[in-house]
This record gives sequence, C-alpha cells and structure tokens, in this order.
Amino acid sequence: MLALSGVSRSFREGGRAHRVLDGLDLAVATAEAVAITGRSGSGKSTLLNLLSGIERPDSGRIELDGRDIGALGEPARTQFRRAHVGFVYQFFNLVPTLDVEENVRLPLELNGVRGAEARRRSAAMLQRVGLGDRLGSAVDALSGGEQQRVAIARALVHEPSFVLADEPTGNLDEATATETIALLSTLVRSRGATLVMVTHDLALAATADRILELRDGRLRPRS
Amino acid sequence: MSTLSAASARHLLRHPAQLVLALVGLALGVATITAVDVATASASRAFELSVAAVSGPATHEIAGGPQGIDERLYARLVAAYPSLELAPVVEGYVTVRDEALQLVGLDPLAEANFLEPPSMGERATAAAPGSALADPAVGLARWLTEPGAVVLTESTADRLALPLNGRFVLQIDGRPHEAVLIGRDSGSEAGRETLLATDIAQAQEWLGLVGRLSRIEIRAPPGAAAEGEIARLAAQLPPGVELEPAQQRSQTSLEMTRAFTTDLKAMSLLALLVGLFLIYGAVSFAVLQRRKTFAVLRALGATRLDVLRIVLAEAAALGVVGALLGLAAGVGVGRGLIALVSRTLNDLYFVVAVSTVTLPKSAALEAVGAGLLTALVGALLPAWEASHVAPQLGLKRSALEARAVRLSRSLLIGSVALAIAAGAIVAASSRSLLAAFAALFLLLLSVAACTPGLLAGSARLLARSLHRASPLGRIALGSVAASLSRTGVAVAALALAVAAMIGVSVMVESFRESLDDWLGRTMSADLYVSAPGPGFDRPERRLDPRVVAALLAVRGVASANAGRAVTVSSPRGPVSLDAVTLAPRGYDAVQLTEREAQAWAAFERGAVLVAEPLAWRWRLHPGDRLTLVTASGPRSFEVAGIYRDYGGDGVLIDRGVYRRSWGDDAVSSLGLYLDPGVASGKIIPALYAAAAGRQALLIGSNAGVRALSMSIFDRTFAITRVLDWLAAGVAAIGLVGSLLAWQLERSRELGILRSLGLTPRGAAVLIEAQTAFMGLVALVAALPAGLAAAKLLVTVVNRRAFGWQIDFHLHGMQLVDALRLALLAALLAGLYPAWRTGRAPIAADIREE
Repeated sequence: MLALSGVSRSFREGGRAHRVLDGLDLAVATAEAVAITGRSGSGKSTLLNLLSGIERPDSGRIELDGRDIGALGEPARTQFRRAHVGFVYQFFNLVPTLDVEENVRLPLELNGVRGAEARRRSAAMLQRVGLGDRLGSAVDALSGGEQQRVAIARALVHEPSFVLADEPTGNLDEATATETIALLSTLVRSRGATLVMVTHDLALAATADRILELRDGRLRPRS
Repeated sequence: MSTLSAASARHLLRHPAQLVLALVGLALGVATITAVDVATASASRAFELSVAAVSGPATHEIAGGPQGIDERLYARLVAAYPSLELAPVVEGYVTVRDEALQLVGLDPLAEANFLEPPSMGERATAAAPGSALADPAVGLARWLTEPGAVVLTESTADRLALPLNGRFVLQIDGRPHEAVLIGRDSGSEAGRETLLATDIAQAQEWLGLVGRLSRIEIRAPPGAAAEGEIARLAAQLPPGVELEPAQQRSQTSLEMTRAFTTDLKAMSLLALLVGLFLIYGAVSFAVLQRRKTFAVLRALGATRLDVLRIVLAEAAALGVVGALLGLAAGVGVGRGLIALVSRTLNDLYFVVAVSTVTLPKSAALEAVGAGLLTALVGALLPAWEASHVAPQLGLKRSALEARAVRLSRSLLIGSVALAIAAGAIVAASSRSLLAAFAALFLLLLSVAACTPGLLAGSARLLARSLHRASPLGRIALGSVAASLSRTGVAVAALALAVAAMIGVSVMVESFRESLDDWLGRTMSADLYVSAPGPGFDRPERRLDPRVVAALLAVRGVASANAGRAVTVSSPRGPVSLDAVTLAPRGYDAVQLTEREAQAWAAFERGAVLVAEPLAWRWRLHPGDRLTLVTASGPRSFEVAGIYRDYGGDGVLIDRGVYRRSWGDDAVSSLGLYLDPGVASGKIIPALYAAAAGRQALLIGSNAGVRALSMSIFDRTFAITRVLDWLAAGVAAIGLVGSLLAWQLERSRELGILRSLGLTPRGAAVLIEAQTAFMGLVALVAALPAGLAAAKLLVTVVNRRAFGWQIDFHLHGMQLVDALRLALLAALLAGLYPAWRTGRAPIAADIREE
C-alpha cells in the first residue's frame, strides 16, 4: 500500500522558490498499476524521487507499506529503496562496464545475495525477459529494446514491492515500446508488485489500472 | 569478484591512458622517496661495512689523538689484561692509480686472537694474509718479511689491473712507495673493496707512524668480569688516550650526515605531496566519467558508504600498484643517485665506496605505505563527492560547482590560517628541523588553498572587462571560473610546484652566492699547497718540513699561513681541528660573526674559534668552554668567537697552542702570499721545483681552488635540483589530468561553439589561452609563498639543518624561470585537450542526453 498525503516540494531557481508539488495526495493499493501523466516540468520525476526516497518532501507524509519513508534518514531510505523498489528509466541506465547478467545481478548483490544463487536468479530473470542467450553480452552491443528488457529484469530480479518507471518507452520505437509495455505489465502483475509509472505515452498509460494527471502540483484523475 | 569491483576494475582498464597517468604520478613520488632512501642507506651501509671489515668483532677500541698511541702501551696492556683479546691497528688513506684506498696495518699474530670463534672468520680473510694466499705458511712469511707486501680483494685488484706478485706504486701524502701484491682475497667482499691490508710495521713506516698505533682494538668476552676489566683498563689509560665502544666511531660519523639526509628526505616528500594532487586529478576524472553510473547505483540502493568504498578501493589498488612500480623505479634511480650522494658524503663527511645497493625493509614498507596513503588521501575528496551526490543530481554539475565556489572562499581564509600557522611553528620552535619542514609544507599548502579563490576571482574580473571586446575571451575565462572544481585543483597543483621551485632555487642561489662571498674573503692567499691524498683531515697528510722550508724560501713568496688539519676527540664527539699560524693578511680571512676585536687577542692566548655549524650543533657561544682531549688529557679551551664556515664544522686553534697540547709539529697545508706584482702562474713551477725529489704537491691558485669549491657545491646541490624538477614534472602531469577532466565536462560547450563556426584551430587556441591564463594565475599565487618559502629555507631550514647562516639573494632570472615553468607546464598540459577537441565529432558533443 502506498499513501501520500499533503506532500509538498519546492525548488529554488535563481532567487525565488518554485513549488513543484503542492499538498499532493495519492493512494495506491498493493499490486495496483498507476500511470501518471503531465506536462514537462510538472513534477513527475520529482514525485518518483520522493516515492523512492531519493528526495524528502518539504511537508506531508509518504507511507509505503505503513512506513513513513519521508521521516527516515538517508541511509535508511537507501536501505529501503534497495530492498523494496525497482527502477526502470527512459535511458535504461545500465552500467556500461558490466555485462548483461552482471547488470541484473547488481541489485541482488546490493541486497546481500551473492555467488551461485545470485547468478542463478539473474539468469532466470533474463530468461523471463527473453535474453537467456545474451547473459555475457556487453550492454552496449544490445538494441534499445533489449537494453530496456535488461533494465526491466534488473528492476524486478530482487522482487521489490514497488516498481517505479520513468518514461520506460520514451526511447523506443512503437513496436518495441508495445512489446516492452506488455512485458513490464505482465512481470509486475505476476509478482504482485505495485507499479507507478510516469509517461507521456498514452498507450502505455492505458495499460495501467488508473491514470492520473499531475497538474499545478496535485494529482487529478485524467479525464 | 563482486559486480561492483568488476565494474571498477573494468572502468580503469578501459581507460589505460588515465590509469597510466595516475600510476606514473604516484610512482614518481614513491620512486623519489625510495631513491633517496636507497642512496643514503647504501652509502651508510657501505660505511658501516667498511668500519666492520676493519674492526671485525672488536667490542671496544682505544684511540689517541692525531699522533696516535705509543705502541708500548699495547705491549703493556697485553701483559696486564690476558683475559681481553687485543689487536693493534695502524691505518691511513693511500692512493693507488688515482683510486683512494684505506691502508690497514695489522699484526697477524695478534689478529689470530680474533679468529675464534669461527664466526669471526670473515675478519680473518679480510685482514690476515694467509687465507688469501695459495700457501698460507709461505704467505705469512712473505707478509712478515717482504718489504711492501700487501693484500687486496680480488675485484679491486682486477679493477686496478694489479696481478698477483705484481709490483706497483702507492702514494701517501705525495710520496711514492713501492708495494707488492702478495695475495688477492676472493672471499666475501662486503665493505672491503677499499681496504689495502699490510703488515703493521710496514704501515707504520709508510704512514710516518713508526712506534705509533692508530688504535688498539679490544674483544671483550661477554660477562661482568670482562666489564670490570674494561673499566679497570679505561681508568689506567695514559692522558690523551681514550677507550670507547667499537661502534661509536661509525655512529658518530653517520650522525654527522643526518642533516644532509633529512634535507633530501624532505625534498622527496615534496615530490610525493605534488603527486597527491595528481592522484586527485586522476580520481576526479574517473569519478566524473562515472557520475551517471554512481547515480544509478545510488538509485538501485547502493549506500554512500558503498560508493565511497568503490572509489577508495580503486585508489588503494592504484596506490599499491603505483607504490610498487615506484619502489622498483626508485631502486633504479637510487643506483644513479648513489654516485651523487657518495660524492657529497666524500666531500663533506667521510670517504666511502658503495658497491651494493641497500634498501632497508622498513624504508620499502614506508615508501609503499606513503604511496598508499597518498592515493587514499588524494582520492578522499572525489570519493566523498561521488558518494554525496544524490541520485537525481548525478548528471548535474552546477550544484558541485556552487559548492566549489563556496569552498574556494573558505579556503582563502584557510590559506591565511595556514600561513599564520607556519609562522607560529617557526616562532615556537627554535631549533627543530622537523618543525621547520612542517612550517614549509604548511606554507606551500597555503598556496594551494588560496589558488582556487584567486583563479575564480581573477577569471571573473577579466571576463567582465572583456565583456564587449571579445565574447570568445569572455567565454574562455567564464568557463575557467565556472569549472572551479577542476581548474582550481589543477592550478593549485601547478602553483604548489612553482612555489616550491622558487623557494628551492632562491635558496640554492642564495647559498651559492654566500659561499662565493665567503670564499672570496676566506681565501685571501694567492696559492694553496697541500700533500695529495684522500681525507681532508687525515694525520698522514703532512708536508715534509724540508719542503715547507724550501717553499717559503722561493723568491716571490712574501708570507704564509700554515695549517695542520686533524681530528681530535672531545667528550661530545670527534672535532675537526685546524691549527693555524696566520700571516698578517690571514686574519681578515676568518669571518667572525661577533666579538671580533676581543676574539683574536683571546685566540693568541690559547682560546679557540668555533665554526658556525659546530657552534650551532653544540650550542656554543663566545665565552663558553670547549673540552678537547689533548696529548696530556682533556683540557678546557675558551671559545673566543664563532666564525662563518661553509666548508666544515671544525675548530680553529693557534698552531703554537696545538703543538704544545698535542706534540705535533706537522703542517698539512700552506697558504702562500706573493710579493706584489708576482703572478701566481709564474711562481708555481718554481714551487714544484723546490719540492722535487722529496714530495709530490698539490698546488692550486686562488681562482682554481675557488672554482673547485664551487663545483663541489654545484655537485652537492645537483640532487636538490633533480628533485625540484621531478616535483615540477609531476605537477605538469597532474595538470594534464585535471584539464582532461575539465575538457570532458565542457565538450558540449566547445561542440556548440564549433557548430557555430569555431574552427578546430580556434578551439585549440581557446584552450591554450585558458591554460596560459591558469599558468599565470599559478605564478601569481606562487610568488609570495615561494619567496616566503625561500626565506624560510634560507634563514630557518638551513640554519637548523646545517647550522650556518646564509644571506638572502634574489635575482630576476629566478622569477623568469618560475614564469617559464608555469607557462610551459600550462601550455604543454593544454596541447592534448586542444588536439582532442579539434578531432571530436561535433554531433556527438552537442547531443542532449
């Protein structure tokens, strides 16, 4: 269960403060998929940063499974993110010096799963995303769609409760985007994880259980 | 290997140039430390070995003054102390085919006592002739009966091309003596390469010490009984003869070199300090390249500590590899430095021949530890930077630069605090050399601290003034100020090196000119005459009295200073004593630092004058008393004055007083004053002719001896200059690393400019203009601190290290050299980034991520 109440966040630009989120409320049930749309600069990425504990709100509460992560210190928020959150980025953000399997194994090792067990789980996850034959490949030798599939495998390999996706199809062609959406939805749902994705892509948004629009610092159901 | 470690290692391996840069900088710093350690430790070890090879298993030794010990004392002691093993030794320096050797005269019958237990065997091969000969019995007979019989190590005999049973001439104080090589010792040669062993009676004859011994060595068995015997023996020794532990001699000699080796060590640490900035640049670059990766890792849940650990582990790996490479290179460079250090030690302290390279384990560990620590300290800031950037800020540079600007302002205050701390340390410590070096390092660090602030301020100011005149110039300067986290560090490293260079070069030049002035005053005689041979104050170096008389009778010689240089003992250690009879013009040659009027009167009454370095070391002032062991036992002399001396740290005494106190009437050297109008070049042949057939002489003109002295000086400080340039080289490499990091960051800005029509050449000029500007700022920052460092080196470090005072001399050329260094390093450092920018594809540079 994810619950945000009265969350505000401002940034200083030059000499004046710019309020990006203004008393935002949100409730997302466990295993629900929510898509958030909005114009550029509306605060979508800031919202994801708050949900993942990367940033803290100026005011308000952010509860994930009953824990107020905004009240946690930085190390505790990092530990929480490591164990409970999976990320999928628009630009994949794979580590270029690691091969496909190592990239997927990374969250497992950060969570203390090492050796053969970690390799077995990362290989199995890559099998699920259709890259079982590319374990040792360099990531920059993959196509964009393949790289995003590696990123999805990395986001899900440690079985997080929450998956946060920031424009996951923004850098893919239409056909690949469709495949990727299907794969992400299927895997997230099959694991009972909660999905919050930020996107401009209405086709992607349509795959979610709910679509919300971020406007003037608050979330509203998209009409 | 974990995925994080694998990612680190692969990143480093995928950027070999960067890896090499970091390793070279660190290795250079460690190599410098190691080289200095190798050179000084090898020279010290060689000296200890040569002492051990002569003294062998002796536990104590009995020594006298310049005239040695009456040999009858040895016979009495052997009879009175049968439980102690005693051996007489006569030694001196000789020259064989232009090579200095140590002649050791031994009594094989007494030496036999030293053959037991078997572990003493090494001495037997060194000293006793039998073991070096095919037939020991025949050998011993030849040793005892054949005139001129000597034994040399096989390698030395080969080097000098001396065959077995071959006859050759050895020179002692300019007099030739015929010797025959009856044995070539092929055993272990550690420390014995310079030893020429002969029978004691032969050595006495050659060295003019008939009836005298240089010392008596004692081997006392362990136990209280022997200690009691030793104490009883010491109490019964005649006046002027003393007993001391056998190791005392080498320890005292090595202690005299401490100031010199500390100075070298400090210079090598300076190279490592500059290397630290290099590591900073290289690690910053590596962090910058992976800023996005670190952001991703942080987003995936890597803690700050995880990221810190990754960067520090990389630095540690670099540190260990760089240090090991440096260690290996240092041993190689050290071999080269040994010759320089040995020559300096020979010039200033004692004669030593280094044949084996020594690196103490502790020094190796210290060098590796220093390399590792430097790498970790250098990486600390970039590691902190990598770990403290929040994930979403991973790609944003502005926050970091804003922090750098704030930091540069704080550092300006820090710089002042460092300079004040340096002054406070000097004021609070009156004699500590370590404190003086600490103050020097703080002063240099203050340059590094003020440079980023100075760079940002001057770049902004200049950019504003160029606002209308040159938009491109404004961009160039604005960019320097806007990337302070990179440019600031690069320029700080360069400023540090330039300040160090100014400090060292001004110090060396000040010293050189002070020495030249001092030589001009001290060397008032027209010609200098001495007996040739190694060792400045060896007692066997004496002029034949008939030769002295003949020289003084040569037409054109008006008057002369006569000197006798010897080493005498004192309760505080050995003292180089210079007994002089001064001609009227000779008094002006002694540059007294105070109480000039009273000093000479007291000197003639029997007081002594003390050289400034010794006075500093032993805290002697005019009016104090100095006890010297004379032939009739310890005697207290009044210190009449302190005189400036860059050539030694001895004591000046009237020759009449010396003759009465030590019973030695010999003359080691003469300073001849010529009649007006007599050219020294014309009279030298007459002088040689006067001594012909009696003694070979070394006759040098005033100008020749001064030139020789200056060449010795230049040789001594060659090491300092080498290290100085090494430090500057490391700084220049560091600048390249930092500039590359900077250039990588601004490739988009340059890409935009190029897309607007800036040619590759224009971009290169832009970069070179920026680096030249940075070089100038480095010079401006370095000038005041460099001059302050020079002042500190001249007035504090030199005084505390060597005891002498030197005058401050500053020349425009030294500043021009500093300008050259700063500009050259900056322009060279800009070449590669400029070339790289010209070749980079514009499309790739301007693409948005």
